[in-house]
Amino acid sequence: MKKRILAALVASAAVLSLAGCNTNNNSNSGANNSNSNSNSSSSNTGDSSSNGGDNSTPAGDDFVVDKKKPQLIDTGIKPSDSEGKVINIYAWNDEFKKMFEKYYKVPDGYTVKWTINPSENGVYQQKLDDALLNQDKAAADDKIDIFLAEADYILKYVDSDYTKNIADIGFSNASTIYSYTADACTDSNGVQKGMSFQCCPAGLIYRRSIAKEVIGSDDPAAVQEALSSWDKFDEVASKAKDMGYYMTGSFAATYRTFSNNTEGKWVDADGNVTVDPAIKNWIKQTKDYMDKGYTTEAGIWEDGNNIHQFKDGKVLCYFGPAWYYNFSMGNIKDQKKDADGNVIDETYGERNTVGDWGLCVGPQSYFWGGTWLLAGAQTDNPEIVADIFNAFQSNEKILKQMVEIDSQFVNNSAVNDSYATKSDFGNEILGNQNDWAIFANGAKDISLKNATGYDQLLNEKLQDNLKDYFKGTVDLDTAWGNYVKTINEAYTELKLPEKLTLD
Amino acid sequence: MTKKHKSISYAKWGYFFIAPFFIVYIVFQLIPLLSTFYYSFFDYYRSGLKVIGPEFVGFKNYATLFTPDSNGQIGFLTYFGNTMIMWIIGAVPQLVFSLLLSVIYTSYRLKIKGQRFFKTVMYMPNLIMASAYSLLFFTLLSNVGPINQIIMSATGSTFDFLGQVWPARTVIAFINFIMWFGNTTILLMAGIMGIDQSIFEAASIDGASAGQVFFKITLPLLMPILVYVAITSLIGGLQMFDVPQIMTSGNGSPNRSTMTLIMYLNNYFGTSKNYGMAGALSVIIFVITAILSFIVFKTMNSPDKGKKKSKKARG
Repeated sequence: MKKRILAALVASAAVLSLAGCNTNNNSNSGANNSNSNSNSSSSNTGDSSSNGGDNSTPAGDDFVVDKKKPQLIDTGIKPSDSEGKVINIYAWNDEFKKMFEKYYKVPDGYTVKWTINPSENGVYQQKLDDALLNQDKAAADDKIDIFLAEADYILKYVDSDYTKNIADIGFSNASTIYSYTADACTDSNGVQKGMSFQCCPAGLIYRRSIAKEVIGSDDPAAVQEALSSWDKFDEVASKAKDMGYYMTGSFAATYRTFSNNTEGKWVDADGNVTVDPAIKNWIKQTKDYMDKGYTTEAGIWEDGNNIHQFKDGKVLCYFGPAWYYNFSMGNIKDQKKDADGNVIDETYGERNTVGDWGLCVGPQSYFWGGTWLLAGAQTDNPEIVADIFNAFQSNEKILKQMVEIDSQFVNNSAVNDSYATKSDFGNEILGNQNDWAIFANGAKDISLKNATGYDQLLNEKLQDNLKDYFKGTVDLDTAWGNYVKTINEAYTELKLPEKLTLD
Repeated sequence: MTKKHKSISYAKWGYFFIAPFFIVYIVFQLIPLLSTFYYSFFDYYRSGLKVIGPEFVGFKNYATLFTPDSNGQIGFLTYFGNTMIMWIIGAVPQLVFSLLLSVIYTSYRLKIKGQRFFKTVMYMPNLIMASAYSLLFFTLLSNVGPINQIIMSATGSTFDFLGQVWPARTVIAFINFIMWFGNTTILLMAGIMGIDQSIFEAASIDGASAGQVFFKITLPLLMPILVYVAITSLIGGLQMFDVPQIMTSGNGSPNRSTMTLIMYLNNYFGTSKNYGMAGALSVIIFVITAILSFIVFKTMNSPDKGKKKSKKARG
């Protein structure tokens, strides 16, 4: 009898496990869950006693950043026993994770669980939405404490009940933040749901060696003079083409410069989609550039664009904020290594172009991206969440390390301004040009008033679908028709114009 | 006591053993299937984080699927066409190639050595995830990839594999071909090895040529397996998703010419979790699959079955 039961159990286990395999195969997730405990505090040599309970005004003036040795900063938080032991953070890449683990000392006995899903095609949002809708059923230690969001879709979460009023957990904005970062995560009733650790004024990043040939100088002021309007930009593009260079590496390179200077929103309150004149200008420019061979058909995140950032690259201009050349162009910091992988020469790898870049405002000032931290409505770690938010807006020891080690343009005007005027501060990628001087100006003008919760797919799919038109595979009407279909499949409730007229 | 012993029936254990399958089937297959039918009659989707519905709307979702766009095209039929085209480009050569390979490998005249090795090698592509395979080809064939560098150095210009309609379709069909021909070959080999060897021997004694053996013996007796292979391949083809989805980043580019039915379904389901539209589309795919399978089954099976029976009767 026992044997029979055992056999039945084994059989059912076998069947069940097969069924399990099957369902796994069917899911198309690119999920990539990674757990990580924060580093131990061995490298923390900071004076944690001096900033006991008062996090908002740490003594940071005399703090000296050691670029080789990041310090874990103890904010001195002593969480009460009601706090859960696991801090759950959802993100789409490890930009914030890396800085968090380098600088923020998690209280002893607490662990951080990171859930990272890629952002493309809305995968991150899908996974996050599923998790948020299941918060009621999740165990306390599995409830989302913090999740990251981008400007393109942050409103979707801010205007929902799944984010927490952070005034309730004892957080208030420091006077040094850039006000648009608070506006972006404030809902229609004026309740603020999160904060940002960065500010993203963007500029034009040019290749110095190519600029010397095409423009005749690599001095930021001279390059800015040559590229200060779109008409001048076109002239230089034609000159670059004649000399065998591309003006931009991707057909979508200038998209953000146009789309973040729009006059109105993508979607109005009734779900009507309007194509802003600025977007139409981008379409006209891009079609022209593709026809004339000023740019390539690669997307901004594709190899076809990125290979031009290396030694043999042929692209004059990239567009982006500080995080673009520091984080997305990270591969240009190629180092010469011996057979065992030891670094022989830090500055001369085969692909290394560090120092061959310069920064100027470009034809139009704009911003791009930015990452916000939102508090999950049901977080079981309100004290730690508030402490993290505080630390990343006003703990100068953390912020100064972020500026000097990670080149993050932090969300603190006092810290940024102190670097903007420093003569010995610069970025080695840009040949030690002081990029903060340019960004500190641009940051004050940023406004996010035209954001809607639909922007990510509307922006991403516009580029994807119009690519056929830019390449000449189909006419504009067909490409626009495909865009309308794509958007209506994703968002049934949106109403798009049937035809797009560019003039 | 003796009476009791007589009444012991072991039959009931049979039910215990098949129970796990039925439980798993009902929970993971039958209930989802029925709820798909059910929700296809509802407006039920998410707008942002707000759930809209479920609200009964009758056949509205089906009507939407069959509404032509401004160019008079019915999207659903276009994507069905794309799916079938890519399936046919991949499946027909695959069937011929697999048949050829399986005949060669099972031939008692050739007696090829290292069969196990070749079987493993042929089956290997099927073990690699479709997504990994697609990414590999995506990188190989990209405009800055190694294959285009070779073409560039030979001809002076690159060839846009994934940016043109027919090359893109062919590449996708080719990946599916590479992934599945090993599986088909092994199925067909099993089928051929199941045929009585004495028939082949008799044929060779009678002086039949290799071609005659193939067309008069192997092919007719292999028909049941061929039908099975054709139908499973058709169902798999209709559900083509992972390769084109990854090769085109879900856009079905260029000009939606590589958009398959399941990618279309995924568009509805991905962002807004539109159970209504996705459900309606699933039901239609279900009906199409059933009809096509029935046609394949009828055309390939019925005339040969008659022949086989008469042969058996004579034998």
